[in-house]
Amino acid sequence: MKLFWRFRSIPVSYRVPVLVALLMVVISAAISERVLSRLSRTQESFLNGLAETYLDGLSSAVVPAVLRADVWEVFDALDRSSASYKSLAPIETVVTGSDGKVLAASDPNRIATYSELSADYRNRYGPDVVTIDEARLTGFAHRDLVYQGQPIGTIHATFDVSHLFAERREILVTLLITNGVLAALFALGGFVLVRQMIGPMRVLEDHMRVAAHGAAEPISSREIPSGDSEVAGLFRGYNALVHAERERANLAMQLAEEEKLSSLGRLASGMAHEINNPLGGLFNALDTLKTHGETPGVRDTSISLIERGLAGIRDVVEAALATYRPERSQRPMTAADLDDVHLLLKPELRRKRQRLDFSVAWNGARELPIRGGPVRQAVLNLLLNASAVTPEDGTVSLTAMSWEDRLHIEIGDQGTGMPADIAGILIDQDPGPAVRAGRGLGLWMVRRVVDDLGGRASIAAKRGGGTAVTLTIPFDREDTKAHAA
Amino acid sequence: MRNLGNPHRATDGVPITRRDLIAAAVSGAVFAPVALGAEEESFKFGLTPVFLSNDLELLGHLRSYLSARIGGRIELVTRRTYQEITALLVSGQIQSAWICGYPYVQFKADLDLVAAPVWHGKPLYQSYLIASADRKVDDWAGLKGDVHAFSDPDSNSGFLVTRALLAENRQLAGSFFARSFFTYGHRNVIRAVASGLAQSGSVDGYVYEVMRETEPDLVKQTRIVRKSEWLGFPPIASPKSVANDRRVRALQLALISMQDDAEGRKVLALLRLDGFVATGPSHFDAIAAKVEIVRQFG
Repeated sequence: MKLFWRFRSIPVSYRVPVLVALLMVVISAAISERVLSRLSRTQESFLNGLAETYLDGLSSAVVPAVLRADVWEVFDALDRSSASYKSLAPIETVVTGSDGKVLAASDPNRIATYSELSADYRNRYGPDVVTIDEARLTGFAHRDLVYQGQPIGTIHATFDVSHLFAERREILVTLLITNGVLAALFALGGFVLVRQMIGPMRVLEDHMRVAAHGAAEPISSREIPSGDSEVAGLFRGYNALVHAERERANLAMQLAEEEKLSSLGRLASGMAHEINNPLGGLFNALDTLKTHGETPGVRDTSISLIERGLAGIRDVVEAALATYRPERSQRPMTAADLDDVHLLLKPELRRKRQRLDFSVAWNGARELPIRGGPVRQAVLNLLLNASAVTPEDGTVSLTAMSWEDRLHIEIGDQGTGMPADIAGILIDQDPGPAVRAGRGLGLWMVRRVVDDLGGRASIAAKRGGGTAVTLTIPFDREDTKAHAA
Repeated sequence: MRNLGNPHRATDGVPITRRDLIAAAVSGAVFAPVALGAEEESFKFGLTPVFLSNDLELLGHLRSYLSARIGGRIELVTRRTYQEITALLVSGQIQSAWICGYPYVQFKADLDLVAAPVWHGKPLYQSYLIASADRKVDDWAGLKGDVHAFSDPDSNSGFLVTRALLAENRQLAGSFFARSFFTYGHRNVIRAVASGLAQSGSVDGYVYEVMRETEPDLVKQTRIVRKSEWLGFPPIASPKSVANDRRVRALQLALISMQDDAEGRKVLALLRLDGFVATGPSHFDAIAAKVEIVRQFG
């Protein structure tokens, strides 16, 4: 099973050729077995036929001589027959008489005339015409000589059958080489074919990998095969997807820009209002100074009024600068960042006659190892949202508390609760679908800030109505170490 | 002419007695009937194959030569054993034959000598006792207990000489040799000894020496243990019944003058003989003495 899974993990362009080669090996093994078995049967029947013919011919030649126990005639017949049956390759032939003694052997020096034939010779025959001894590459056959129904002797023949085994070996080698070459060719063919088939998949895979790391690029028309309609369809489908994704991204960027401008507009009008409010008082004070400037009491009061009015304008301008100037957004977070947010929110609160419950529990450090700029922007966005959903004369709340190595900020409202798809932008693993719907772009900016800082957001219903959004932002790791040190 | 090799012999190995021969001749069951004494009939000359490889060539030249010298049709009669040819001759069914000295001595009363071959200048030859080449044996006594190959029971050199040697030494072939068998051909004796079928053999010295030239590889596998004394070379004989036939005298002249004729020289070259001479019966006295020794000892 393990092997199977390991095999499954091999790329398909190698797996298929290996499977083809394995299949060929199995097929060739089966074919070879059949061929050799058939060959073996054919050879045996051929050998049996030859041996029968040899024994028949020899019997008729030696029977009269055996009857007379004529040693020379028997030998002469054996000697002549060895030359006549070359295809049978007789090694040795022995003729015995009725008493079992040797009348003549083809090689009298090995088996002497009138000697007793060894037991090995007599007991070596099996049930077949020719008994084959594979170890010694020899075949044995015997024929009883019968005259007028009486046994008069026996012919014992030994043949060289090495050529049969050599032929089998030769055919086996030929089969192995042929099948090996075929298996290799098929495997190579399979490899080339599969590579060609999965080539378009690789193109698609490369494009998708690039898309995962950045901008998705459509597959160029040169790479789309003209003949293969399936692959071409797949590529065109992918290109359509890329184009649609690009359009959505453009749209989202456009919407985000509009949202940014709209919130900027709201802030700008708030700021103008904030600046405009003291301006009336300032002009009044200036008129008073022009008219009654000589009166010391009036002059002091008017100057004090003008000073306070200008200080208010300066605070508002500074807060705006701190929030929207990028170079300032990198500095560490301080309690003043939250005071600035309070300040920036004031015009909106006043417009809706709302109150802000502002509670900051700082841990005593002047600044925290968190980038202040993004946090201010996220908190401001959330407070603006809270203010928007809270009815007039209502209360929004901001609670900030640093705890061990993280900062908790809770923004509360008195609205009717956040819709699930909007809430998803903040808390879902993938905020994509809600964002692509083109809604809640302010929250999407908050989500990006929180993700960027490595924190997370949660949404809960408040007791007594309303919603509380909580941001948990961890301290920067390097800064944490530095801080601990 | 001796039977040097007969792979197709069908008769058994039991020696034929004189009575058998006569009975066979009278019955005519074995031989084709012939009209005796009729000169118009073809002249029948009996012989046994000499060298298997050129038998046909030899027969062709011999027939051609004899036909030219004797006139009329010449029929060469070949048989597989000495006994068959001897029986044909003694019964008068053939006019002449090349037989062995041993049957001549046996049937001397019925036969006339026509001529004897000359080999190495003399009408004589020897009998050899041979063994395999790698065998260490000094004399004939060392062959005791062998399986022995004889050539033919009617052969002087291939049977009688060895039997007489044993008889002179108070030995019987049946007890001196463990076993013995006949091969019905001098070439077969050499083959039997060379192959190891027999451990020793009795063979015609003339055939052995000629085969040393024609089949040196076969002869090399054997060695000579003993050579006999010089004995009368197997002669050409005719039955006394055809003594008046002019063709028998013509045959004698043709044989004796063979080396004067081109065709005759071809025959002599194939047989490795110098020629033929006329000899008397005493030329075979030594063989007759051997027959007597064997007869006396049993």
